[in-house]
Amino acid sequence: MADSSIKDKIKYALLKGIDVSGFKVLDPPVRLAFGEEPQKQVRDIAKYMVLPILFVLACLGIWTVMGPNHKTKSGEVPTPAKILTAYEDNKRFDERQEEKASDFIVEGAEREATLAEAEAELARLEAEAARLGELSDEIAAAAKEQMDARIAPLRSELESLKAKHGELEDQREAEMTALAGKVAEKQAEPAELVAMVREHEKIEDAEGATEDVIESRIDEILANPPEEVKEAQMAANRVADEVQHYKKRIAILTNENRNVKEAEYLEKIAKDEAELAAATEPKKVIREAKSIARNAERAESATTQTYPRTATIFWQTKRSLATVFVGFLIAAALAIPIGIMCGLNRIVMACLTPIISIFRPVSPVVWLLIFQIIIGAFFPDPEKHPLFVSLNQDKWFGWLPNPVAFLQTNPAMIFSACTVAMCALWPALVNTALGVSSIDKDHMNVAKVLRLGFWSRLFKIVIPSSLPLVFAGLRISLGVGWMVLIAAEALSSSDGLGKFVWDEYQNGSSQSFANIILACFVVGIIGFFLDRIMIFLQRLVSFDDGSATA
Amino acid sequence: MQFRNTILLAAIGIGSLHAEQLDVEKDELKFGFIKLTDCAPIVIAKEKGFFEEEGLQVEVIAQPNWKQLLDNVITGELDGAHMLSGQPIAATIGFGTKAHIVTPYTLDLNGNGITVSNAIWEQMQENDESLDTPTPEHPISADSLKPIVEEAKEDGKKLPMGMVFPVSTHNYEIRYWLAASDIHPGMYTSTDLKGFTDGDIELSTTPPPQMPATLESGKNVAYCVGEPWNQQAVAKGIGVPVTTNYDIWKNNPEKVFGVTRDWADENPNTLIAVTKALIKAGKWLDAEEDGKLVNREEACRILSQPNYVGADFDVIKNSMTGYFYFQKTDKRAMPDFNVFFKYQSSYPYYSDGVWFLTQMRRWGQITEPKPASWYHEVAKEVYLPEVYMAAAEHLIEEGFLEEDEVPAADFDGYKPATDEFIDGISYDGRKPIDYLNSHKIGNKDDASLASK
Repeated sequence: MADSSIKDKIKYALLKGIDVSGFKVLDPPVRLAFGEEPQKQVRDIAKYMVLPILFVLACLGIWTVMGPNHKTKSGEVPTPAKILTAYEDNKRFDERQEEKASDFIVEGAEREATLAEAEAELARLEAEAARLGELSDEIAAAAKEQMDARIAPLRSELESLKAKHGELEDQREAEMTALAGKVAEKQAEPAELVAMVREHEKIEDAEGATEDVIESRIDEILANPPEEVKEAQMAANRVADEVQHYKKRIAILTNENRNVKEAEYLEKIAKDEAELAAATEPKKVIREAKSIARNAERAESATTQTYPRTATIFWQTKRSLATVFVGFLIAAALAIPIGIMCGLNRIVMACLTPIISIFRPVSPVVWLLIFQIIIGAFFPDPEKHPLFVSLNQDKWFGWLPNPVAFLQTNPAMIFSACTVAMCALWPALVNTALGVSSIDKDHMNVAKVLRLGFWSRLFKIVIPSSLPLVFAGLRISLGVGWMVLIAAEALSSSDGLGKFVWDEYQNGSSQSFANIILACFVVGIIGFFLDRIMIFLQRLVSFDDGSATA
Repeated sequence: MQFRNTILLAAIGIGSLHAEQLDVEKDELKFGFIKLTDCAPIVIAKEKGFFEEEGLQVEVIAQPNWKQLLDNVITGELDGAHMLSGQPIAATIGFGTKAHIVTPYTLDLNGNGITVSNAIWEQMQENDESLDTPTPEHPISADSLKPIVEEAKEDGKKLPMGMVFPVSTHNYEIRYWLAASDIHPGMYTSTDLKGFTDGDIELSTTPPPQMPATLESGKNVAYCVGEPWNQQAVAKGIGVPVTTNYDIWKNNPEKVFGVTRDWADENPNTLIAVTKALIKAGKWLDAEEDGKLVNREEACRILSQPNYVGADFDVIKNSMTGYFYFQKTDKRAMPDFNVFFKYQSSYPYYSDGVWFLTQMRRWGQITEPKPASWYHEVAKEVYLPEVYMAAAEHLIEEGFLEEDEVPAADFDGYKPATDEFIDGISYDGRKPIDYLNSHKIGNKDDASLASK
């Protein structure tokens, strides 16, 4: 008996958790696991889990089949498999940054070991690159031969067609000249000649069209080399990229490494010190002393340097999340108090209505430009501004590691966040006002009877009873903010996923299309989780089951 | 003035600085660039460790367009950037955004092309039979384009064409090319800042990476842009490059490295150190062995990384390794398509600055007539050969450079007169007004200004 009640407790706790987090789809499997109405649960699972999964798989299948058939000038639409490859490539790109950053700081025996390893790897990769390069050339040559073989008959057909048309044309020209001669001698009607010229032009156009058909067939063969050529080339390119990366790694490990640099400066100091000791002229002494001081400063600054990393999709994602979070906080901090005031007081509402109505429909792009100009004025010299200095330094107060240093905060991030805030403000504000103004009259009357003060009325009655709607508003706000942010980043080239997408579009390489679709999924999945988090918070504060908002 | 003194001091101090890093004021720098292959010296200086050798930690950041790039340099978000030659000049004289920008280094020569859509190319071939072969003779002038422009005008249309920025080399080059064949490209006036006035065609601004897309959609029928966007049009089969700017003006200056005057004043040694690194990068890019550019393949590999130019390696390779595809079937050797260092090209010549000023006056971007002396003054405000020469002297001292690879110490900054233009008109940087008046189309000024 006790056993089953514990089981029930676990079951209901799980079901409650599922309910609050909004993943209702998991409900049947849990019930099934606890043996509740197995038949119904199996049916539900089939209906609400298996079918949707099959549907998504079917969509992926259609995509895989249809994608390669839609040829654009920027290459064909990438298949899901290509998106996965794009993800792997991006991951590798990120790892390379990581490797270079660690090569930059590694010291002593470990540096030498890494160097030896990198050199061995480079030798291997170079051999591999040479092999793949040759292979790719061979495949390309074979494909060219094959294509030439396909084109050759078309070419000769075109040639003979052209020759034939040329002959016919000469014939017609001769006829026309003959007729023209007659017209000149007034033996024929000019109208006849004009008709003949017209006819000639018509025939010429028709002949040109038949030639074009063959030409376009040749062009099509040329424009679509066999898939394996491209694949071989890409495989060779991938290894060649890796070779480049290892060359750079070795350069970092041998020259640019901060400990190597420090050692060099220390060596110079030692040399200068010896020269200073040997020097007799005051001028030389002071020069050496200056040199020592300078090199000492350099040696010290070398020890704290870090490798300037390149932005990767992973870093851009973190940065976008931070920006949307800041923007959302600003929006919430403004929207909730103003919304409450609007809800409580009809005069405030009347005053604010025109402002809300006019600014709400304004496009994020306009806000972006406005904020870009306004925010820029606050930071005439961003690098020295205390806000950014404190946000970007490695350690706070000299010892506390700064968790946000990696974000490299700059004015671009601030104005992107402000744009997000400006657009995310309205749903939260309007919903809060609605929530407050629709509080049950009885509650307010009770407050009056109890003679509650303004603050206790606010915190005991107004806020608690309007919370569900406030959170519903915040949820919409966050969704809007996330969408706006990506557009804002793309437009202003402020670091983040939007910039990633825009940069890829500008790159226009064979990988760009796949990367853009990859970013589309990253944005979508993150947006989904942000929404789920808000649903979760909303459910926590709701009195009802909140199913209406699921 | 104080700045020039500091440079002088730095130059005098060379003896003690042998193979020694300069005492830089700022060692962590951010440079901006636009995704074009001619940003190569900046990218190479970073990737090959030339900045490191000068004790500089540099971040290289892609910018969305030329305007934003300039704004970021002005606000201090960036320390310096890859700029169009016209940008520092225009900013300094206040056409567009006003700010005093200076340049100690010319990044490259040539490197642009004019591409027309397939339809226009077919019509050009119809107008000029000699073009109707897979390998027509170059240079191709706009003569065969003129009837097409006129036909469109009779239908009440002006052919839309694209260039990348109002003060870009591309704008002046496509205008020069059109005007050389008697097609009026339109004038800028104080009220028409788009430059459409009196034009036979309409030339508007499009960011480089979008050029192929506008050709495809018909928004433009021709454009002038840097690489890889001409080769991209060939690769995608949407257009035909008809000429490169090498044929319009042989070895014309293209991009510069720009910083603000204030930044240069605050960081004189840093600027010399940066220039040193750029010279090294330029020399590395132009290194030749048996007439082959030995380092270009590696440069293309680096540039094709997504955080730099990011286009496919093979597309970048086309033009960077000394070849150019005019059509898929027409690949030609163009060893000087990109010149980064040879011919003493990276020196910031006053005469280059004067040429851009004459073009700004010719097309009405400078609305008032100016005396010849003004042209020279502005060029001297913008171009900083003294910084370049200080950097070069350090490098000669350190054994990285030969003395004959840079102009002599007493060089006055003006290239000798040249007539290697598509229309054969001679240009002498010392005589801006005469040059302005030698063109048929465009503003002309009173000859008396030449001696003022």
